[in-house]
Amino acid sequence: MAKENMYQMCNRHRGKAVVIRTKDGKEHRGIIQHVDNRQVYLQPMNGGRNLGGFGYGYGGYGYRGRGFGLGIALGAIATLALVPFFFW
Amino acid sequence: MEKTYLDCLAAFGIGGAHPGGLQLTKKMLANEMFDENMVVLDAGCGTGQTAAYLANEFNCQVLAVDLNPLMVEKATERLVNLQKDISVEVADVQSLSYEDGSIDVILSESVISFTNPTICIPEMTRVLKNKGRLIAIEMVLEQALSVEERKEITDFYGMDQIWSVNEWMMAFLTAGLTIQSIEVPELKNDNEDTETSTDFSLSETIDETFHDILSRHLVLTENYKDQLGVRIFKCIK
Repeated sequence: MAKENMYQMCNRHRGKAVVIRTKDGKEHRGIIQHVDNRQVYLQPMNGGRNLGGFGYGYGGYGYRGRGFGLGIALGAIATLALVPFFFW
Repeated sequence: MEKTYLDCLAAFGIGGAHPGGLQLTKKMLANEMFDENMVVLDAGCGTGQTAAYLANEFNCQVLAVDLNPLMVEKATERLVNLQKDISVEVADVQSLSYEDGSIDVILSESVISFTNPTICIPEMTRVLKNKGRLIAIEMVLEQALSVEERKEITDFYGMDQIWSVNEWMMAFLTAGLTIQSIEVPELKNDNEDTETSTDFSLSETIDETFHDILSRHLVLTENYKDQLGVRIFKCIK
């Protein structure tokens, strides 16, 4: 996938919860906070996977806190999908 | 102070934090004829997604209130630049400052469920005009819960009660409303569509506790998906 396209896709999904799979096979879940021409920055969320969404579990990625969160190189992204949510 | 589910929604700035989200709101209001002379109250406006939609779509006068100051702050950010007739303020929907019979339509999108409905519904009825309408998307009990199960849910969400459809009906009727329709909404979760997927207006820092609350919410949602359901109640005064 071309880098420009991934940039546009990340930009379009700003403020949304996504799951990004990188080419090394890793999975990153979080909310897209910022995109620049090199990286997309996620506010990571708890990483449990038993619910197909943000499952119950502790730990996460250890990148929480200030700033733009976890940066992922756009060129390393294999797939990006929105995560469905339900709230009362 | 102990952080609650509603604080968690505010910290994540979750837009359309009710079953079906903005997509269901739009569908629910598709046949409504609100005009610029009508006053519509978005009771429990959250981050103001519905209020923005109401003002843009119908040009009606929008009153948006929420008990949570952080929600009101995020709603104000969203609404301030729209240049529409919208007021946003912190208020308790169980004790509104509006005059009797001053509002045409009240929307409650999973809000009454988080109040004491026996106080909230009469209060909403008070401020409605004659023939004014209340449209509410609320949690209903579909199947019996044990005492422990009920407690687990009400404690977590900070609710006083989980009502069956009949209990809701009784409360609306007791307040002097007439029930026009009760609908089971179709809740679609379209992960391809960025328009309809949940929108987050994150606070700069999000407390660790909120991640845990969000996780716990997802577990409860899954565990009680058969017992807890949703209805759209449309009532008229």
